[in-house]
Amino acid sequence: MLDAVLTLSILALFLGLVLGYAAIRFRVEGNPLVDQIDEILPQTQCGQCDFPGCRPYAEAIAKGEAQINQCPPGGQEGVDALAELLDVETLPLNAEHGETKPKRIAVVDEEVCIGCTLCIQACPVDAFVGASKVMTQVIASECTGCDLCLPVCPVDCIDMIEIKQTINTFVPDMAELARV
Amino acid sequence: MSKLTFKGGLVLENPFPAKEIDLIRIPLPDRVVLPMQQRIGEQAKPCVSIGDHVLTGQVIATIDDNRCAPVHASISGTVVAIDNQVMAHQSGLEALCVTIESDGEDEWMDNSVACTENYDFCTPDTIYNKIRASGIVGMGGAGFPTHTKVRLAKGCHTLIANATECEPGIMCDDALIQAYPIKVIRGVEVLLHICGAERAIIAIEDDKQESIDLLRKFCKNERITIEVIPTKYTSGAEKILVKSLLGIEIPSGGYASDVGVLCQNVGTLVAIFDAVVENRPLISRVVTVTGSAVKEPQNYQVRLGASYDYVLGFADIDEGENNIRMAGMMMGVDLKSSNYSISKNTNCIFVNKPEKKASAQECIRCGMCNTVCPVELLPQQLYWYSKSSNIEKALDYNLLDCIECGCCSYVCPSKIPLVDYYQFAKALNIQQEKEKEQTDNARERFEFREFRLERNKKERGEMMEAKKKSLKEKMAKDKVQKEAIAAAQERVEAAQKARES
Repeated sequence: MLDAVLTLSILALFLGLVLGYAAIRFRVEGNPLVDQIDEILPQTQCGQCDFPGCRPYAEAIAKGEAQINQCPPGGQEGVDALAELLDVETLPLNAEHGETKPKRIAVVDEEVCIGCTLCIQACPVDAFVGASKVMTQVIASECTGCDLCLPVCPVDCIDMIEIKQTINTFVPDMAELARV
Repeated sequence: MSKLTFKGGLVLENPFPAKEIDLIRIPLPDRVVLPMQQRIGEQAKPCVSIGDHVLTGQVIATIDDNRCAPVHASISGTVVAIDNQVMAHQSGLEALCVTIESDGEDEWMDNSVACTENYDFCTPDTIYNKIRASGIVGMGGAGFPTHTKVRLAKGCHTLIANATECEPGIMCDDALIQAYPIKVIRGVEVLLHICGAERAIIAIEDDKQESIDLLRKFCKNERITIEVIPTKYTSGAEKILVKSLLGIEIPSGGYASDVGVLCQNVGTLVAIFDAVVENRPLISRVVTVTGSAVKEPQNYQVRLGASYDYVLGFADIDEGENNIRMAGMMMGVDLKSSNYSISKNTNCIFVNKPEKKASAQECIRCGMCNTVCPVELLPQQLYWYSKSSNIEKALDYNLLDCIECGCCSYVCPSKIPLVDYYQFAKALNIQQEKEKEQTDNARERFEFREFRLERNKKERGEMMEAKKKSLKEKMAKDKVQKEAIAAAQERVEAAQKARES
């Protein structure tokens, strides 16, 4: 009787130590779920979800403080992907936060720009190049099309231009293939 | 069966054999439309303006990208338009084109930097630059710039001249060899001189007896051998040709240059000869016109940029509505009209009588596609994954190694357009990769911005703190000094008072 109790106690102590060590040694920094959610979000950083960027929204979803259907740039596909990741029922995109638009980029009308630098401060991804009282322009490859520069511009010199498809970016239509 | 062959593929007859293979030189077109968009890479930038007079062989557009080549005027005349025009591409999208109206003179640009016949005395670099400046690209259909291919293959051991003809029905290489056998051989010699290979193999299929005889007759160089290989479709694909000739398998995702082989189409070799020895940039090519609506299939040597309609005007074509198909019956693209221009990689135009296309049925999992795939992939698996847009899985099954030869679609009893699905999956893969790159970039920039704002705030706070501290210290110091001064003044006053009293 005593033998059995002793053996199990020693075993329990040993395994407890191993588990305790492993918990410290292999500790995961941060919340991996936030990273996974952030990976799905489109990184437009537009703030339409009512959070100041994609990462804060991902953190809010992980904490259960936000719904998964607040991201218009991600579209219904994004909502579905989040639902699958979190293993919850998918929701229709919440129209309150805006509608999904095709990807666009900002272009500054150089004639009108007064060099106020307000757009530079508003841009969440530093896509503007310029300085005080000189003409400002957008680095097209960095612009996420978040529209945040539009309301701050005092002279309305920023246009959002839809990206045209070229032969290099052409993707055949799957629906047409299936019809053949 | 000879050993110089490969697993899979299809033995296909030429559906519309020509009675006699000839090369017909077409008179100069009245106008040419030269596209700035090449097969890959960005659009070239025109360096001429509307109204400029250009000479034949003059550079009209350049681009600083090794995946592209400069564009030359193919006739002399006046630039009348630089605008977007619909391209001969399945998308039907537009791209920038330069239109030149002929002055009928065909006055050539004087390119005085010639290597001439004595190219042996030129350094490989000189010839390489000549090829680069002459706008030569792969004439077999892939349209990859020859200068880049040659540079990648530096130090290769074998040069393969591909005279196999891409597909049944196309005869442009055969016609070219019969018209210019010496140019082909000399082209091989020029390339041998610059690429450093010890030997060259001219690979030709056994159904082109006249070309074989001509090449044998004119080839006196012992470094060049002529290999006759069985006629079987896709033997002309680079990966397959290297494997069947040399027994070397090009690794997945690799190129012939990775295994020390340089492979060039005979059309490209003739273009190299013309550029290096005769000092003419690439401004014309041979195009086969064939199909069920063509009474006599024939090959035409035509200036680049001439319209399809102009070329088809020289062929005997049945009246009525016909379908136009660019390139071969296996890998070609059905076009909506004939309102396009001949580009560097237009090797063939099919004009077919309209016929009802059989509609695709469900896959019955017969596995016929697996047996014919020349690169030994699993077309059926690729089909399922492409259809469900599961790109990750399709990549696992080596989607990117598919050469889009169309053997699987050809044998499919359910008439499923398999290759179209693979093209869709490949395009989607490129799109997704690009999007991923962009989102990753945006994430990084956003995070860095947050970090920067935070850091600036902190630095500002620290600076303010330090300033406050130094001010306080200064004030304390001032106080001590003031006290000392006051004390001294007091002492002076006290002393004065004492003196006065």
